[in-house]
Amino acid sequence: MSVRHERVLAALELKEPDRVPTMDLMLEYANIYEILGKRPLPLGFLYSNPYAVRVMDWVFPRLNQSFGVDYSMNAFTYDRTAASVKMGYDSAWVIHVPIYRFFDTKRAYDIYGRAYDVTLDGKGNLGTPMYREGLISNPDDWRAWDKRDILRMPEKNNRAYRRVQRDFGDRLFIFGSFSGGLFEITWQCMGFQRYSVAVRKERKFVESMIRFYTDLYCLMLEAMADAGLPGVLYTDDLAYRSGPMFNPRTYEELFGDSYRRITETAHALGMKIAIHSCGNVYQLLEWFCDCGFDGVHALEPTAGMELARVKELVGKRICLMGNIDVTHVLVDATREEVFAAVRQSIMDAGKGGGYILAPTNSHGGMSVQRLRWMLEAVEKHGRYLLEEDFN
Amino acid sequence: MSEKHERVVAALELREPDRVPTMDLISEFSTINKILGSKPSVASKLFANPRMGWLLDRVLPYTKNLDIADWEISRFAYHATAAMAELGYDSAWVNYLPVFRYLSSTRVEDIYGRYFDIAFDRVGNLSTPMYRGGLISSQEDWKAWDKRAILRLPERAYRTYKRIQKDFGDKIFIFGIFSFGLFENTWQPMGFERFVVALRKEKEFVRRVIRFHADLQCMGIEAMADAGLPGVLFGDDLAYRSGPILSPRTLEEFYGDAYRRITETAHRLGMKIIMHSCGNTSSLLEWFCDCGFDGVHPLEPTAGMDLASVKQAVGDRICLVGNIDITHILVDATREEVFEAVRQAIKDAGAGGGYILAPDHSHPDMSVERLRWMLEAVERYGRYPLNLEE
Amino acid sequence: MEEYLEKVKEAVANLELDEVTPLLKEGLEAGIGAVDLLGAMSQGMVKVGELFEKEEYFLADLVLAGEMMKEGLKVLEPHLTETGVEKKGTVVLCTVKGDIHDIGKNLVGTMLTSSGFKVVDLGVDVSEDKVVEAVRSHSAGAVGLSVLLTTMVNSIGDVVSALKSAGLRDQVKIAIGGACTTQELADRMGVDAVGKDAVEAVRIFSSWFN
Repeated sequence: MSVRHERVLAALELKEPDRVPTMDLMLEYANIYEILGKRPLPLGFLYSNPYAVRVMDWVFPRLNQSFGVDYSMNAFTYDRTAASVKMGYDSAWVIHVPIYRFFDTKRAYDIYGRAYDVTLDGKGNLGTPMYREGLISNPDDWRAWDKRDILRMPEKNNRAYRRVQRDFGDRLFIFGSFSGGLFEITWQCMGFQRYSVAVRKERKFVESMIRFYTDLYCLMLEAMADAGLPGVLYTDDLAYRSGPMFNPRTYEELFGDSYRRITETAHALGMKIAIHSCGNVYQLLEWFCDCGFDGVHALEPTAGMELARVKELVGKRICLMGNIDVTHVLVDATREEVFAAVRQSIMDAGKGGGYILAPTNSHGGMSVQRLRWMLEAVEKHGRYLLEEDFN
Repeated sequence: MSEKHERVVAALELREPDRVPTMDLISEFSTINKILGSKPSVASKLFANPRMGWLLDRVLPYTKNLDIADWEISRFAYHATAAMAELGYDSAWVNYLPVFRYLSSTRVEDIYGRYFDIAFDRVGNLSTPMYRGGLISSQEDWKAWDKRAILRLPERAYRTYKRIQKDFGDKIFIFGIFSFGLFENTWQPMGFERFVVALRKEKEFVRRVIRFHADLQCMGIEAMADAGLPGVLFGDDLAYRSGPILSPRTLEEFYGDAYRRITETAHRLGMKIIMHSCGNTSSLLEWFCDCGFDGVHPLEPTAGMDLASVKQAVGDRICLVGNIDITHILVDATREEVFEAVRQAIKDAGAGGGYILAPDHSHPDMSVERLRWMLEAVERYGRYPLNLEE
Repeated sequence: MEEYLEKVKEAVANLELDEVTPLLKEGLEAGIGAVDLLGAMSQGMVKVGELFEKEEYFLADLVLAGEMMKEGLKVLEPHLTETGVEKKGTVVLCTVKGDIHDIGKNLVGTMLTSSGFKVVDLGVDVSEDKVVEAVRSHSAGAVGLSVLLTTMVNSIGDVVSALKSAGLRDQVKIAIGGACTTQELADRMGVDAVGKDAVEAVRIFSSWFN
């Protein structure tokens, strides 16, 4: 096992590693291309050319896009991992989501029934599509929804992750990922208003979808474990800035068994599993521990999450991950500010291990320079045994 | 819900239907072709032609990853369903097992790491390949084994069964199956001698393989439910003619949780699930009930299964399916013998519902004429309230 | 020494997979004869057979015991040839033409070997000519035919008539076993016995050679 693996594993097992490990979540082309020194495809140019747009608008709906999407997503996953290695991270959240299909140049949908607006990042790359609405509003829609592409996900994951694990697995602890958590995926394909009604009135329908995805995710875990991945980041945005979106009791009713089955499967396969949820998750922290997650990610300062308090509440039960602000610190802060933020996080959560330093999220406006400073700062402040850093 | 559906569901729920329902599991081209009046397929002709052997041996090794057999296998499933609907069965166990890779004119491997001999029936149709041994002898082999084709099974099952359900779903109650059982899939890729040693010495390895297949099964059941199928056939040969292969305790220890998860998945999806295990399963019947299966098949008389005592033992907990002999009755018996066998089976298990009459198995030498007699006999003796006088 | 042999016997009977080989090696080093050790293992095997018939052990346990026997024989074999053990008799085994199931046949083979028979295993999908040839060249006293597939039962008759026309039928006893075999089938095919499992097979062959 490499030093990086040991470091990440130690933190996830709440033991003290040689230094605070780092995790990368880069999801944007702009950063990846900058790090790898690659030139982006001229997509921005194409999308801003009215003639090209007219051609694409005609072609897209008539095209079987799965081949092209698979190809570009495989390339993304690979480049994205290469970039993390090049930056010198200990671990990375690597997504592989060959799920998007385009209605035309403005609108996209995915294989799970979610519709998006296509976005550009202003630097000539496609950005993460912006969720707009759901395409499945009742049990009949759900039954009629063509699930072939969904059912192929385990195999596609296995193929893509096997490749990155083979080429980068010895230098990076790779967290695989699903295409959204059970809550996200089930509400987003319906729309939130519709979903909040369905949870009350059509519990069976909602439960059948949750069950379907739980079974799918268990098989995806098998596929990822078989590809050799040592960990999974289960992402499910359950909260917004001021708290959980549903009553925590409802979460337990709807997702408790599924979450436990997913963590149990991951553990039986020898993998670590952490949960990522944006927003203010204070009320959910204990529940995450009870569900068996090894780590909890984001802990956004801008959503009111104070790392020191989280450490005190659940630091003995779950590894804390994240907390580096992406609204200011990793965008336009000075070197000193970045160093101070890193130092503060390590002081708040580093003691005795059980903390992995990482940005809270990823967006196109993040500065690669500041990410480098962040990693430098971890080298400086994150070594264990250097007691003076804590004093 | 059609009349046939109601009948089958009633029997599976241990209620009395209007008549004893019937099921078949035709899994041989020869029988299908006889019923539908079709000829051996192109693939069968190709393999059976001795002059083609030379060519096949040179071409097939390059097609290992091309899934060319899938076309033939899904065509087979479709035609098998058509044949069973044509004969007028109430329900059908439809095999769709797109796992075989034809590597030469004589050798087949499958995506789980087993290898087989190619087999033919007497008229030159490809028959079920015969298991020879396994290719996975260690945990390393298992890790290195390419599982992409396995991971695609749920999608393939969805695609094929959706088509079958659309065309035949209103005419016949379909039990789907897309993969082999957990026990078979753990021991066969290793070979039996290697497996019994692993059961003792490498429990974690064995458990991991079982978990993989359980997760696969659950997803496959989701896929089949989504395709609209009302039933699942879970086939796992746990016994031979004198009893279970593993002790019931070992079976529970290794497979119990996985079995329960599988039946629970099927039930949550509103499907019925039947357990099929050849051999003498007397000492496992209670366990099948505890695991939550709705039905148990085939209760082979030639393996010493006595239908009346099975009914007595577990008839109030699980629906009995099968028991019509395929070594003699459905091969070369007289009309009177067939009628008598049906009458006896209904007499033994029909009271109060909870029995689906079906052959034990399927093989190429079965007589279509006798299958017809069997169905006729059910019409005659199987109406509730039962009247079993001559 | 008695105590030591008892230990070997118990280890086999209790299916202590990892104990048998070290026990045998130690025993050999301590100067206990390979023949005695083999005898102890066979006694253990007899006990396994008894437990199987009492339905305390299952097929998998029987196969496991067979694997232990094989491991043990590997250790003992070099020493056995030196002393030259008398064999009870020679049995030709095979799975009949058209059938390739071999778990049962292999198990019978191992059990017979450990009971002191010389076993000539011809493998699976074996034609009647090969059986005749093997019986002749090994001057075997018995033939065991395994058949699982209902559709292949006629292959048994083929072997019987081939042995007859080669003039060897009176010299050998024939037993059959496997999923589709019954006493009725045995009578119809003109064979001498049918066994329901490997333990019974050993009993049948032993009775013929005593």
